[in-house]
Amino acid sequence: MAEIDHQAELSRAGANVSGHWSRLVFYMRQHPLGAIGAAIVVVFVLSALFADALAPRDPLHTSAPDSLKEPGAAFLMGADMMGRDVLSRIIHGARISLTVGVASILLGGVIGIVIGLMSGYLLGWFDLLMQRLIDIMQALPLLVLALVMAASLGPSLENTIIAISIPLVPNVARVVRSSTLSLREMPFVEAARAAGMSELRVAVRHVLPNTLAPLIVLFTAQLGSAILVEASLSFLGLGVPEPHPSWGRMLSESAAEYVRVAPWLVIFPGIAISLAVFGTNLFGDAVRDILDPRQRS
Amino acid sequence: MGYLTRAAALGLGVAMLAGYAGTALAQKDGGVLKFYHRGTPPSGSIHEEATNSTVSPYMGVFNNLVMYRQDVAKNSLDTIVPDLAESWSWNGDGTELTFKLRQGVEWHDGKPFTSADVKCTWELVLGKSKAKLRKNPRKAWYKNLEEITTNGDHEATFHLKRRQPAFIALLASGYSPVYPCHVPPKKMRTNPIGTGPFKFVSLKQNEHVKFTKNDNYWKEGKPHLDGHEWTIIKSRATRVLAFIAGEFDMTFNVDVTVPLLKDVRSQAPHAVCELVTTNVSYNLIVNQDNPPFDNADIRKAMVFAIDRQAFIDILADGEAVAGGAMMPPPSGVWGMPPEVLEKVAGYGPDIEANRAEGRKIMEGLGYGPDKPLEVKVSTRNIAVYRDAAVILIDHLKHIHIAAELDTVETSNWHAKVARKDYMVGLNLTGSGVDDPDSNFYENYSCGSQRNYTGYCKEEMEALFEKQSMMTDQEERRKLVWEIDKKLQEDAARPMIMHSKGANCWQPYVKGFVTHVNSLYNNWRLEDVWLDK
Amino acid sequence: MSAYIVKRFLLMILTLIGMSIIIFVLLRLMPGNIADIMFDSAGFVDPEEKANIERELGLDQPIPVQYYEWIRGLIVWDLGFSYVSEMPVVDELQPRIPITAKLAALSLFFSVLFGLPLGVISAVRQNSAMDYILRCISLSGLSLPSFWLALLILMAFVQYAGTIPIYTDPPDNLWDELLLYSIPAAAVGFRSSALIMRLTRSSMLEVMRQDYIRTARSKGATDNSVNYHHALKNAVLPVTTIIGIEAAFLIGGLIITETVFNIPGVAHFLVEAILMRDYPIVQNLVMLIALVTVLINFLVDMLYAVLDPRIKYAD
Repeated sequence: MAEIDHQAELSRAGANVSGHWSRLVFYMRQHPLGAIGAAIVVVFVLSALFADALAPRDPLHTSAPDSLKEPGAAFLMGADMMGRDVLSRIIHGARISLTVGVASILLGGVIGIVIGLMSGYLLGWFDLLMQRLIDIMQALPLLVLALVMAASLGPSLENTIIAISIPLVPNVARVVRSSTLSLREMPFVEAARAAGMSELRVAVRHVLPNTLAPLIVLFTAQLGSAILVEASLSFLGLGVPEPHPSWGRMLSESAAEYVRVAPWLVIFPGIAISLAVFGTNLFGDAVRDILDPRQRS
Repeated sequence: MGYLTRAAALGLGVAMLAGYAGTALAQKDGGVLKFYHRGTPPSGSIHEEATNSTVSPYMGVFNNLVMYRQDVAKNSLDTIVPDLAESWSWNGDGTELTFKLRQGVEWHDGKPFTSADVKCTWELVLGKSKAKLRKNPRKAWYKNLEEITTNGDHEATFHLKRRQPAFIALLASGYSPVYPCHVPPKKMRTNPIGTGPFKFVSLKQNEHVKFTKNDNYWKEGKPHLDGHEWTIIKSRATRVLAFIAGEFDMTFNVDVTVPLLKDVRSQAPHAVCELVTTNVSYNLIVNQDNPPFDNADIRKAMVFAIDRQAFIDILADGEAVAGGAMMPPPSGVWGMPPEVLEKVAGYGPDIEANRAEGRKIMEGLGYGPDKPLEVKVSTRNIAVYRDAAVILIDHLKHIHIAAELDTVETSNWHAKVARKDYMVGLNLTGSGVDDPDSNFYENYSCGSQRNYTGYCKEEMEALFEKQSMMTDQEERRKLVWEIDKKLQEDAARPMIMHSKGANCWQPYVKGFVTHVNSLYNNWRLEDVWLDK
Repeated sequence: MSAYIVKRFLLMILTLIGMSIIIFVLLRLMPGNIADIMFDSAGFVDPEEKANIERELGLDQPIPVQYYEWIRGLIVWDLGFSYVSEMPVVDELQPRIPITAKLAALSLFFSVLFGLPLGVISAVRQNSAMDYILRCISLSGLSLPSFWLALLILMAFVQYAGTIPIYTDPPDNLWDELLLYSIPAAAVGFRSSALIMRLTRSSMLEVMRQDYIRTARSKGATDNSVNYHHALKNAVLPVTTIIGIEAAFLIGGLIITETVFNIPGVAHFLVEAILMRDYPIVQNLVMLIALVTVLINFLVDMLYAVLDPRIKYAD
């Protein structure tokens, strides 16, 4: 029988991991792809936060002599038709994408959580009504729903966020509702209630933290899909309007016109979108593995 | 400039060389000409639309009374030739225009064409008939038309309120077809009937519009084509790629922009492309009724901020031209020449000096770098509009105006403009006829529906009428320059540039001439043939 | 079981009714209507003429009345006329439905063709280099914006083949048609195949860990027969679900792809109709999409119930 290296086995299982830092290192070793994803996400978030400092030029400044300038020393990723620096616009575009992603998560998340909690707790007619509402929201493909919403609200940053957040609601509500249903019967929740905690406090203190894992998984997935849906809506002319340097807008129809004269206008924003979503997805997979080991991908 | 003169010279050359002997060239008959189209035509009823999307494909369904010669690139009063009218004459005081009509012409449904159809058509346009157009965009053209009378089946007379020598120019446009009296307007939208060389076959939304040869056409030996078909492709990137790949014989009317033209020339070097001024202008509509642009000084400062050359360089790679309300020479007949244009306020060549002056005005009003005037620039949510608006916003920064872009959906644009719910808007205006009468009455005259800003001045109305009545065209031109200068300095609708676009076709497409001062008048297609 | 089916069916009707109300209200919230769009091509709006058009189309009626008219029409199969073409809605939709259906079927075919076997390989070779590569490919399938991919494909075709695989004329026969659709279908199918691959992989892994597989293995079954026979068979269930759901969601992806490849299917038509405020087209088409989605969900649930005896039919 082979010798078992207890120490190695233990460390592989993360037994002697203590402190935030070593825990991080442990997760990174366990999920190398996730670590790559996390790195991409960090770059993405940093460029969104510090766009003003990082961007070499004003993303809105037009300049006739630089129109459709090829990538080179002055413009690392070239210039668009209006002589605006593509690199600066991509860096600032991260801000728009992140804003749309995060705001849609917050909006969709909050609405979903409230609906889910109330449904799980109140049950009865309210639950029935909400379940039907959720069925309706799920009766249309995401992009079709977002398209109709975006058209009826009109193109603006706020409306794009609303349109993108709606499809998140049913998923969140479902998760929260089913956790609430199963948790409300759990002994420790019963105990809390017996100890005189109000229903609301029970919900916030006990039920919510227990649904956190699946929610985080949902939210990371939403970040990626928000970026993609925003890009698709912008491509169809219904997303974030000019002059906001949104990635989707940069790729939109008018840019596609120059796909052959100035391919950099299409290639770089496309890479930015793909990379950001790819990173988010890798990161999301790792988060899911860590938080919900049963659903390993 | 290079392309322009070449195109103009080409047109004139063909005209002079061949005259009508051109028909003696060995044209081949047969074949279906395949175009791409940029979007579903809103309807087939030319009188109800003011868009290239309808006129270009449908013009061949109809005939006019008179038309611009299809083979001469530059439209003017001298290039108007008979169509359904065999001849025309003015009465002594120039208020009655009488047409002798061609006999034996039949509508596509076999009914005979008579003077009653002429009367019906313009009564429809005047809104006097029982049948009504749903939309009537060119009512303003016919402000001076009192009535139409007939004398027998083959003579019709237009009675004018006052003399208007250029009236006939309006009738020569692609926008002025003769409609059949017996077909209701609704049917003309979906199933138009004309006397023209091509019959309408079918329209399928987002797919195609098809036309077939009228075997019974009254012009001997025409048309040469068996038909023409337009495949609808919304994405400009896709459709130009498709032309390069040889899927189509010809592009949509002036659809190829200057940057795309470079691509076509390098990828499809055999293709024939003509880059022309389109008589479509980029301009600003300024709301003079509400703050801040009710203040004439701020309007003036704004005009000083515009660097027209920057717009021209960015949007048209240096190929478009600056001008006033009327399209500038050499393509335009009526526009101010450079030496006159330069003297108009804000058109001086030293942009920095202009902007300094603009800043001075703004600073005098209490604005500055730390306290900019905040405005909204409204425009349509369409690429060509948005791009121009973004440049404008950037220019306005130079005179302490912080502008924000407000993109408006097509479904909302005209309603919003009509409500005066904007400060300054970026707008494109196409002129169907290169003549001051149509342009001034349509866009600057009191009460016209297409006069978006509601600009209305008695003094200007008098001038419009004065030029309209002049017979000596040289004298008239001088007056028109004067009017144009006043319009620009009033910031009635400050002009940014007159744009250019190209038509491209495969080398075997023959007999098509792109016009250099209107994109709406050269689509009869009866002379076009395929050398295959 | 039959009670469960009846209940599910009734809920489905309820969902569709709710959907119809929501879509109807959303459409009426949209700024501007068809009359505005019509006037756009004339370059102005005449309030009086606009009011005439609205009256002609019944848009001046109160919204509940308009809704009632629509539903009444639906029940007697009178879908009305397109505002834009003034043709019956049925005639506008009918020729376009098979196009989108074929495109969707082809995409689904591609996605299963690639997604399923690659997912199995990925699971069987868990944590091998192959697994990592396949996972990266599948993740990039979920990351690339479909229109970007479509544009790149078009560019490559023009550059290297000198042709462009877009729809210009109706194809002569079914074979040509499928050939024409295969490129856009592959562009859309990439995403779904990535999803199917991921799901196949994780379901396989889960099943492979379960007791009966260990039992089979201990009974001397070879690895291959275990993997492909037992594990795959049991992993098929969740994969069927995702295929069903993807079938409905493909319509979303097709919106963009049909636009880029200029294919005259319903998805492309929907975008146009929304921009034109062509209510009769949009509301009927959205209801059709909702109906298809709900029906597929229903069928998937039924299939699940039949295949998985553990499911109880109480609720």
